[in-house]
Amino acid sequence: MRSLTALRTLLVLLGLGLCGFGVFQFVDRTAPGPDDVAEVLEWLAGAVVVHDGLLVPAVLAAGVLIANSPVRRVLRSGLLSAGCLSLIALPMVLRAGKSANATVLPLSYPLNWGIVIGVTLVVTASVSWATLQRSRRLSGRGKLKS
Amino acid sequence: MRIALPRPRFGGRLHDPRTATAVGRLLGLAVFVCFVTGVLSHYLQEPPGWLSGHLPTRPVWGYRFSQGLHVISGIAAVPLLLVKLWTVYPQLFVWPPVKSPAHAAERLSIAVLVSSTLLEVFMGLLNTVQWYVWPFSFRQVHWALAWVIIGSLLVHLAVKTPLIIEHWRRPAKPQPALQPDQTVSAALAAHDELDRRSLLRGVAVAVGAVTVVTAGQSVTPLKDADLLAPRNPDVGPQGLPVNRTAKAAGITALALSTWKLEVHGPRPYMLTLDELRAMPQHRVELPIACVEGWSKSAHWEGVRIKDLLARAGVEDGARLRVVSLQRRGGYGVSEMDRPYTRDDLTLLALRLNGEVLAPDHGYPARIIAPNRPGALQTKWVTRLEVLA
Repeated sequence: MRSLTALRTLLVLLGLGLCGFGVFQFVDRTAPGPDDVAEVLEWLAGAVVVHDGLLVPAVLAAGVLIANSPVRRVLRSGLLSAGCLSLIALPMVLRAGKSANATVLPLSYPLNWGIVIGVTLVVTASVSWATLQRSRRLSGRGKLKS
Repeated sequence: MRIALPRPRFGGRLHDPRTATAVGRLLGLAVFVCFVTGVLSHYLQEPPGWLSGHLPTRPVWGYRFSQGLHVISGIAAVPLLLVKLWTVYPQLFVWPPVKSPAHAAERLSIAVLVSSTLLEVFMGLLNTVQWYVWPFSFRQVHWALAWVIIGSLLVHLAVKTPLIIEHWRRPAKPQPALQPDQTVSAALAAHDELDRRSLLRGVAVAVGAVTVVTAGQSVTPLKDADLLAPRNPDVGPQGLPVNRTAKAAGITALALSTWKLEVHGPRPYMLTLDELRAMPQHRVELPIACVEGWSKSAHWEGVRIKDLLARAGVEDGARLRVVSLQRRGGYGVSEMDRPYTRDDLTLLALRLNGEVLAPDHGYPARIIAPNRPGALQTKWVTRLEVLA
């Protein structure tokens, strides 16, 4: 137990050191003024505000909406995939066609986004249907499992 | 009078340490891979003094592999990070908010870890589409935040060690109950375990989905599934993507019409394009690999850098400065470490995939070297300067 405590103490010290190195690199390589530091801090805080204040509440609301569905778990997985695919697609959809370099973002991103969401929808619907069929078969014997 | 702030209640049962541990270790793996590959790229691009003369030229696909992996693990971190943070979200509302100085310090370290990781992944994703919406340098902040993330992650792991050990393994099957209330809790635990496995399967599917539709920009077998990557390896002049076009670099017809290659060394000389073409030509197959995560292998033909240096009186390679005609944007001048300059595979390439280099690929002459960042494979080369 004592060696574990020593290891944890070491980890904390090493971690603080690496954090310090990161801050040093930022200061050393960009020679930031107070405004530059404030900008980075604002963006760091902004990332948390958008995530904790908008994204997670939206996810929790979606969770409440599907809470009573007999296929809640399947819907949750489908929504997770669709959501992550959309987050990754979004910058490309918004940015496509804006670069002078034709090899950057060369694909039809809105169409491809539609395709991946469509596939996710079809897979989610199929698995939901199969799950419902199975639980209907089992419902005579036991509790309905979502 | 005390005002009671409304605090959210969380009915879901997967906001628990076991779920956090199961998702967290996957996220930790993705973050670790991202960090290591990122540091590798940084030091290949800006080698510190102690690495000078020792940069590895093998494996030839090393940079392609590591930077493909960097972006793949970064994108895989999106679902992992979001689910991990969702799992621990109720912790944001613990009451009282601060219990002790140690608790305050821990919460501060979490704030640093979460904010840095969110911003890092966001910046990385937008960098791959070359969209810079923030007011600061991408490279410097992405680099500095990487260290802050890995540091605050170690602190986090140290603080949570007992919890992680306790929940590392799946909970044991509940024992036959002695009391009725134990039956209830055992049934709940079994239900939670099923629900957790379903969530983890969902995470695995989401990670797989975002990987399959993006990895084709560097992983050739997945090329046909490349639906949401910023690049397609086949789209570009001569079947190869480009990062900076001739137009963006400010290459003019006038500069090209008077082009000559200057080589500065013990015996300096100049060559016209015809003279360069008359030298022994070599064919190599080497990938061009960008830190933004796209890469593709191609056939290059041109003159070995070591032959050009030998002609200048340098027999066994030397640190080299490569100067481009480029007038706009970064990377117009690059430095090449000695191991590359003595390598048989390092060329001043004149042809690509059987054709004369396209203007966007650096006509009339560009550098191609093994295991090297694409940004340093300087195009429109007009001068080589022996440095040491």
